[in-house]
Amino acid sequence: MNILLLPDLLIILLAASILAIDLYRGKPQSTVSFHMSWIGLLVIFCLLIILPYDQEITYWGTYKVTGISLLFKQVFVLSSLCTVLLSAPYFKPGGNARGVLRYRSEFYFIILLCTFGMFAVVSATGLLTLFIGMELATIPLYILSGYQKEDSLSVEAATKYIIMGSLSTGLLVFGYSFLYGCAGSLSFKAISVFAMASPTDPLFRLGVLFVLAAIGFKLTIFPFHMWAPDVYDGAPTPVTAFISVSSKAVAIGFLLILVYGPLAPLHNYLQIILLILAGATMTVGNLGALKQKRLRRFMAYSSIAQAGYIIMAMAGTAAAAYSSIIYYLFVYAAANYAIFFIISIVGRNGEEEFKSLQGMGKQNPVLAAVLMLTLFSLGGIPPLAGFMGKFLLFAAAAERGFYSMVIFAALNSTISLYYYLLLVKEAYIIKPAIAPRVLVIDNIQRISLVLLTSAMVSLGLIPLFSSNIMAIVQ
Amino acid sequence: MADLLFTHSYLILLFPLLSFVTISLRPVQLSPKMAGRFAIGCQGLSMLYGLAVAAAYWQTVIGQPQLYPARSLVCFDLAWLNFSPTLTANMGIFLDPISVMMIVVISIISFLVNIYSVGYMKDDPGFARFFALMALFSFSMLGLVISSNILQMFVFWELVGMSSYALIGFWYQKPSAVAASKKAFVVTRFADTFFLIGIIVVSFYTQSFDFQTLNSPETAALLDHTFMLGIVPINLLTLATILIFTGGWGKSAMFPLHIWLPDAMEGPTPVSSIIHSATMVVAGVFLTARMFPLFAASEVTLAVVQFVGAFTALFAAIIAITQKDIKRILAFSTLSQLGYMLFSLGVAKMVTGIHPGAEINPLGYSAAMYHVFTHAFFKCMLFLGAGAIIHAVHSNDIMDMGGLRRLMPKTYWSLLTACLAIGGIFPFSGFWSKDAILLAALQSGHYIVCAVGLATGGLTAFYIFRFFFLTFHGRARSKFHDVRENSWMTFSIMALTIPTVTAGMLEHLFVSEVTVPGLAYTPNFSHPLWLPTLASLAGIAGISLAWTFYGRGRTEAAERCRLRIAPVYQVIYNKFYIDEVYLFITHKIIFHGIAAPIKWLDRHIVDGAMNLIGEFLQQGGKAVRLLQNGQLQLYLGVTTLGFIALLFLGR
Repeated sequence: MNILLLPDLLIILLAASILAIDLYRGKPQSTVSFHMSWIGLLVIFCLLIILPYDQEITYWGTYKVTGISLLFKQVFVLSSLCTVLLSAPYFKPGGNARGVLRYRSEFYFIILLCTFGMFAVVSATGLLTLFIGMELATIPLYILSGYQKEDSLSVEAATKYIIMGSLSTGLLVFGYSFLYGCAGSLSFKAISVFAMASPTDPLFRLGVLFVLAAIGFKLTIFPFHMWAPDVYDGAPTPVTAFISVSSKAVAIGFLLILVYGPLAPLHNYLQIILLILAGATMTVGNLGALKQKRLRRFMAYSSIAQAGYIIMAMAGTAAAAYSSIIYYLFVYAAANYAIFFIISIVGRNGEEEFKSLQGMGKQNPVLAAVLMLTLFSLGGIPPLAGFMGKFLLFAAAAERGFYSMVIFAALNSTISLYYYLLLVKEAYIIKPAIAPRVLVIDNIQRISLVLLTSAMVSLGLIPLFSSNIMAIVQ
Repeated sequence: MADLLFTHSYLILLFPLLSFVTISLRPVQLSPKMAGRFAIGCQGLSMLYGLAVAAAYWQTVIGQPQLYPARSLVCFDLAWLNFSPTLTANMGIFLDPISVMMIVVISIISFLVNIYSVGYMKDDPGFARFFALMALFSFSMLGLVISSNILQMFVFWELVGMSSYALIGFWYQKPSAVAASKKAFVVTRFADTFFLIGIIVVSFYTQSFDFQTLNSPETAALLDHTFMLGIVPINLLTLATILIFTGGWGKSAMFPLHIWLPDAMEGPTPVSSIIHSATMVVAGVFLTARMFPLFAASEVTLAVVQFVGAFTALFAAIIAITQKDIKRILAFSTLSQLGYMLFSLGVAKMVTGIHPGAEINPLGYSAAMYHVFTHAFFKCMLFLGAGAIIHAVHSNDIMDMGGLRRLMPKTYWSLLTACLAIGGIFPFSGFWSKDAILLAALQSGHYIVCAVGLATGGLTAFYIFRFFFLTFHGRARSKFHDVRENSWMTFSIMALTIPTVTAGMLEHLFVSEVTVPGLAYTPNFSHPLWLPTLASLAGIAGISLAWTFYGRGRTEAAERCRLRIAPVYQVIYNKFYIDEVYLFITHKIIFHGIAAPIKWLDRHIVDGAMNLIGEFLQQGGKAVRLLQNGQLQLYLGVTTLGFIALLFLGR
């Protein structure tokens, strides 16, 4: 047994022990599970950092750990960690205007389980592991989005999510059946051999399109994005944050593994489709965000647009796509969680709406500055990390000569700047009609925001991170 | 030990940056007083670290020429932006004689000026903001001099421009200050545009930003070819180097881009002393020195540098004679001294055939850097003294002053040393550095420039002592209230007398150690005794003339003389109407002839189109919102239709 599998094992162990402790000694108000989760995740993250990134080991022929998969695992663990920290006030009375969440231990258990599913996805060597991992990463999210049981919006979100999600799973399995039918095996190696031999086989391509559509759901690619605004809006905020980062990241990992793995011979064919989807997705996301008034809904559209930029990079070479996308995931996660932390601060005693930001520039200038930096990073303004991330994504597509696409994306990025600045305007310029409420920031939120902000700045300024990722990918 | 110092040499920058961030973002509530103390503390740490690095550099690099034949050391160099597989922009720290010299100058002067500012800016509502911006400036300026590549230098180059802009317009309630800051920003940015184009041209051909690569003979050979632009033959090397030099042209305020510097005196005096005399305006000279081997490879570039420098030296000195605003006299004096430095770099290229076998005269290079060093201290002190005077009498006009000798004795005696230094009187520091410059011009065979330098020396002595006598001597020409010396301010002024008086001892150090990179050949030429004699005579003549006219603090004799040459005087007093020429060009030609039609086009056609696009996007936004009606049936329908479309797409 090699230590490379340790993070995966630890996360299951952590999940199981949280559930077990809750079962035997749990009290509803106990915070043991919270502390266990974040400390455990932190330990796993540290472990992930010190593991060797230049090895590649396959366990039982179906579970492969590589440098790239470790990088993805870093994203997942960080994201879960942020979600756990973000959720803390939501379980306390008075922590959120929407009401108190209950069943804290189960919540963390589900998050951890979900994270393990994501681990499985990026470690897959065949369609079966990929499928099981993906379902393990998705089904818990249905539960989580209905976690605010008294809130009809939350229940509605869960219902919509599960119905749309089932459709997507159906498409996925149907697509698999074609791939299996063509290749005669579920392993990537066999599919790769078949794709190499007959890349133009119509049935094979049909299967690929089904899989693409299915993954389009998770990744909120137009026209499969329709669930996202409703679910993002209805789910409890920590869950929204988790869906917007982790679920997206795992779907991208899934797609990257397929597109640059067994489906690599079809890359020229997929390139155009991916670019068209990317263009449509970023446009729809950006247009949708223009007219929003509710913060979580707004973030849904913003993340749809971001998915468009990310898909665009898949037109590039494997190395460029992997390195730029993984780097972008870190950047995107930092910015998204920063926004969601701010939303949670605002939502402590008010609606999570644009209006609630008014007066922040006067009342709490540091928080407003963090909000502005975060939005600038999402909009891609140098020298913040978002700029560097977008630059790399665009460069990946430009390297293959898709200049018109890059220009289109850059124009789209300009639109996004408009609506990101709307939030800045709300925080700084618009005078609140009623006296703004006093914002209470607890220590967890303060420390998290400081760390996330410094990550956003340093990821952009210090070249070490991106070059490290590049080195691992190559 | 030395290695550890070098590895962490970024700390020199980090302290001022920390000070800027802390004071401006205020994570903890700092009272203005504490902000000032904190800024001084950070600046002090930065200075101590800078001096430690300089000492380590002296011991390690200069002390072991066999290990470091090029006298340079790259502390670290990290990849920053990867533009293409062959072109990467780095972030690094590069130490060589000139950057170490600049670290010493900048950090010491920053520290002293910060101390001085506590007195000068007392009771100003923007006290904390001032120190934050000063810290930003120190950070940027230090970053500029230790950059390892030209792109990084450009980043810091713009940052110093930005901090200069913010500090000139520090008193933004004054319209004149706002106008001056805009002028400075626009003029220097205009020049920087050419600088950036130069960087792009050079990096395109060489695939590198690194100074060491750019300065290699291979780069010069690579660029040295002629192409035809229409019918005009253009040498690429000359073009690129002149484009790069244009950045320095604007930053060092050489004629005709000098117009921003006198106006920049609207800023607080500590700002003028550090940014607009001692350090930032020297950036152009520094850039020329940094790129010297490449510039020297071109036939024309150094001739341009030399001509521009010599012309500005004389031109600004003539204007300085007539000015009445105490800070403007010093501003024109700065222009003139910057001219000296640049022509000194220019004369480092010899006239062909004067010394067979030698093309470069390293003395010109060393002398220029030496003058940068000496000038920084005495000119900084002159400005600080002027600030103390303004602070005491609340006027900028030397005609309102007089008789301050008894009221401000410490300032008087300190400024006397600075005036003697800039006047080129033995044995003060300015004498030695000017002498080295003149000698370099003479050795290289640029006799006219040497004569210009001598004449300017006389003029310098005259105008600086005109300033000195009119302020301190004679009787007060207006009523002063409560004139006192502030101890924060006098401390810095008096501290600066030490380098002003003693920097002359460093001449041999500069001539032997601060030399052209990559030039093994060190010529040893004779030093004619008549040259320093003549220079001293010119200086003494200038002082005597100033004494006859203004020595007793009277202006009658000068007034009579002025009336006799009234028309000429008017032209000079109005700075040769250069500002008016600019106004004419910008307002009449550019604004009315070019900008107005473009504005019409912009307002009606471009804006119209943009509004249309905006409207279109807003409608699109509405459409997306309408489609998102919350009905699951619709979502499923859209998905199915979308999927069918996808199947068609991937047919």
